[in-house]
Amino acid sequence: MSVDISVKIGGEAGQGIQTVGDILARVCLKCGLYLMAINDFESRIRGGHSFFQIRISDKPVNAPNHGINLLLALDKKSFDLHEKELVKGGISLMEGVDTPAKKNVIAIPFLELAKESGGKITSNIVAAGACLALLGAPFGVIREVITEGFASKGKDIVEKNLNAANAGYEAAGKISYKFAFKWKVSRPRGILIDGSRAIALGALAADCRFASFYPMSPATGIMAHLASAANEFPLVVEQAEDEISAVNMIIGASFAGARAMTATSGGGFCLMTEGLGLSGITETPIVIVNAQRPGPATGMATRTAQADLLFIINASQDEFPRFVFAPGSPAEAFETTSRAFHLSDKYQVPAIILVDQYLNDSLFIAEKALKAPGKVKRFIVSDNDLKKPAEYKRYALTNSGISPRAIPCNGRAIVMVSGNEHKEDGHSSESAQTRIEMVNKRNAKVVKMLFEINPPETYFPGSKILLAGWGSAKGAIREAVDMLRKDGIDAGCVNFNDLWPFPAAATEKAFLTCEKFYMVEQNSTVQLGRLIKEQTALSYSGAVLKYDGRPFYPVEIADGIKKYMR
Amino acid sequence: MVSIKDYDSDIENTWCPGCGNFGILAAMKDALAAQGIPPEKILIISGIGQAAKTPHYLKCNLFHALHGRALPLATGAKIANHELTILVNSGDGDCYGEGGNHFMHAVRRNIDLTVLVHDNKVYGLTKGQASPTSDEGMITKIQSDGVLSETFNPLSVALALGAGFVARGFSGKAEHLSKIIQEGIKHKGFSLVDILQPCVSFNNINTFDWYRKRVYALSEEGYIPNDFNKAMDLSKMWGDKIPIGILYQKEKPSYTDKIKKLKESTLISGEYSQKKVQNAIHSL
Repeated sequence: MSVDISVKIGGEAGQGIQTVGDILARVCLKCGLYLMAINDFESRIRGGHSFFQIRISDKPVNAPNHGINLLLALDKKSFDLHEKELVKGGISLMEGVDTPAKKNVIAIPFLELAKESGGKITSNIVAAGACLALLGAPFGVIREVITEGFASKGKDIVEKNLNAANAGYEAAGKISYKFAFKWKVSRPRGILIDGSRAIALGALAADCRFASFYPMSPATGIMAHLASAANEFPLVVEQAEDEISAVNMIIGASFAGARAMTATSGGGFCLMTEGLGLSGITETPIVIVNAQRPGPATGMATRTAQADLLFIINASQDEFPRFVFAPGSPAEAFETTSRAFHLSDKYQVPAIILVDQYLNDSLFIAEKALKAPGKVKRFIVSDNDLKKPAEYKRYALTNSGISPRAIPCNGRAIVMVSGNEHKEDGHSSESAQTRIEMVNKRNAKVVKMLFEINPPETYFPGSKILLAGWGSAKGAIREAVDMLRKDGIDAGCVNFNDLWPFPAAATEKAFLTCEKFYMVEQNSTVQLGRLIKEQTALSYSGAVLKYDGRPFYPVEIADGIKKYMR
Repeated sequence: MVSIKDYDSDIENTWCPGCGNFGILAAMKDALAAQGIPPEKILIISGIGQAAKTPHYLKCNLFHALHGRALPLATGAKIANHELTILVNSGDGDCYGEGGNHFMHAVRRNIDLTVLVHDNKVYGLTKGQASPTSDEGMITKIQSDGVLSETFNPLSVALALGAGFVARGFSGKAEHLSKIIQEGIKHKGFSLVDILQPCVSFNNINTFDWYRKRVYALSEEGYIPNDFNKAMDLSKMWGDKIPIGILYQKEKPSYTDKIKKLKESTLISGEYSQKKVQNAIHSL
C-alpha cells in the first residue's frame, strides 16, 4: 500500500489552524509516517484566509502536493476557494448541522460538539479529531499528542481538549472515506522541523553569542527561536532600532570576539548593505540570513520567493569576497548555518544565507540526526600566538590574504580597524600602493574560499536533460524529476546549496554530459541561469519560473519541462 | 603609571591648523592618563567625519566605522565584552543627523559608553553645509537663505530621553573637558558629552572668541547636577551665557547590568556546551 495524502486546513487567522495542523503532524510523526507541511497566511493577525497544508506519506516527501484529498474548511471561504483542488474521491469536512447538498461534503457541528465537550474554544480540536478519524488514525496516539501538547496548560485544559478531540473522532468515525489507510504506531522517521528553527539550532551549534535583528517576516521566527533558547546559552538576542543598527551591532560584537548574526528579509537587507561593506573592508566575520519574500519594497510580506540571488552576490558598493549559501531543506539549513559561521570566522568575510518564507515556515522531517560539534574552532589570536604583540598589525599582508585576527583589549596587541581604506596597521590611508595591496589582499582569499565550496548536488546526473535550481526548490525539483522519469523522460537535476564564490568548474562538470538543461527558479528573470551563463561556458535551454509568491508544486515543474519536450 | 605621552600616535594629523578638535584630543589623552587606563585597555569607536578621525591620533584600540553608526557598533562590542572601556568620538552630523535614531535608542538602553560629540555646528569634512545643531538662519553655500530648521538641542533631547549623564564641554577649556570626560568614563551608563568646538574653516559665527565670552563652568557656581528640571532649564540656556560642565547625573543600572547572564561572565568568555545544543535539538 502506498500512502500519499494531502490535507488542507483552511480558515481565518485566529481560528486555530496552526494547532490543528500541529496535532495532525505530530500524530503522523508518532505513527512513523513521513510528512511535510506548508503554512499559507496573510499579513494580518485576525480574519482573512489562511491554510495549513500537510502531505502525509509512507515515503519521504519534500514538497507540497497540488491535489487535496481532504479539505477541512473551518469557514465557508475556505471551502469556496479550495473545493476545486480536491482530487477524485476527496472530501470536504466543514462546520454544519444539516446534511449539505453536495455528496463530497461532510458537515459536522464542530462548535456544538465543542460546547458540549471542551468549551467553544476547542472547536478546532473537535475538527482535528474528526479529520484524523476519517483518515483512520488510532485515537490512542491522538490522546498522547494532545496530552503532551497541552501539558503545560494544566490537567483541566488537557481534559477538555481530549474530550473535544474525542467528540470529533466519534462524529466522523463511522464515515467511510476512500483515502483512509491502515496506521501503525512506530518510531518517528526523524525530527519535525522548519527552516527557522533549523537555522537557530545551526547558530547554537556554531556557538553564536550575539544576535541582533529588527522584526521582519519571514525572518523573525529565527530570532524567536534563538531568544527562547538564549537563557541556556552564553547568547544575547537584541532587538535593534532598525536593520542598520542590527548589522552594525553584530559587527561590533564580532570585532570584540563574539560570533554574531542577524536575520532579515530583502527590505531589511537593503538597509544592511552598507554594514555588509563595512564587514567586507574591515574583514570582520558576520553571518546574515536573508529570508526572501517577494519584493521590491514591501512586496508580499508573508509569501515566498527566490529573487534576491544576484542582489545578494553583488550587494554593497565596490568589491570584496563573501560567502553565499542557499540550503535546500531544514537539515541543510542547520549544517549550512554552522558552516557559515565557521567559514566567515576562518576567512574573516561576511557569510550570507539565503532562505525564504517557504523553507522558514514549512515543516519537514529531518531524518538524519542534527549533530552539534564537540568543540567550536575559533580563528582568533592572542599575545601568546604573536612574536611581537606590541607590533601587532591587524591587516598584515600574507599570501593567503588572511591576517591574524586579535580582539581589542585582550593583551598588548593593539587592534586598529577602519572602514576607510587602511594600511597594515589599520590606520586610514589614501596611498595608491596601499589601496592596491589591500584590494589584492582581500581578493586573495577567494582562492582558498573556493576550495570550501561544495559542488552542486546531483540526482540522476548522467541524464539527457537536467533541471537546475537552488535553495528551497530542491525538494520539488527532485520530485519533478521522479515524475518525468516515470513518464519515460531521461531527466535528472542539479541543486545548488553553495553559490558564492561560484563553483564554476563543478558546475561545468555537472552539466558536461547532458544534452540540455533547464532552470527552475522562483523569480522572473532566471537569476541562477544568468549567473551560470556569466561564470561558465554554459547556457540553459529554457526555464520554469514561478513568482506568484507561492511555493513550487512538483507537477508544475514537470509540466513546465514537458512543454519543452514537445 | 600611565603618562600622556603614552597615547602619542605618529599618524599625520589632517585637521586644519587651529581646529577645535585639538583641544578635545588633548583632553582625551589627559583624561585617560589621569584615569590610569593604558592604550591597550581602551577601545575608541568612531563614525565618520573630522571628529571620527580622532582615535587614529592617539594610541588605542580603535574601530573607525560608518557615518552615523558608531553607537550601534559600540553597543554590540559592549554587550560582547562589557568589561571594555569604550569611548565614542562622533560629531554633530554623525551623532544627531545620520545617527539620530541610534542616538535616541542608545540613550534609552543606557549602554555604558562615553560619547564625545565634537559639536562644531557645521559639516566640516564635506565643506561647510549646515548640521542639525547649526543656528537657525545660518547661511552656507547650500543653505543660501539661511538654515530653515530649528536648532537641534542634544542636551535637552538626551535629558528628555532619560540619559543618566548629560554634560557639555568646550574644546577651548581642555582641562575642564578632561574632568568631564573622566566623570563620563566613571559613570556606569550612557554618558553624553556634547563638546562645543569651533570650526575655524566653516563656522565663522561660533568662534573661539565667541565662546570664550559666553561659556561659564557650572562647577564654579557650586551647581550640583542632581535636579532634572534645573538641568533641563540649563540645557536650553544659549546666548550671552552658555553653561558648561555636568548638567545632570543619575546612576541607574546600565544595559549590560540588566542582562542577568552577564553577571557571571562576559559573553565572549562564556563556555560552549555541545550537550546543551544537543538538548535544544532533542527538545523538538
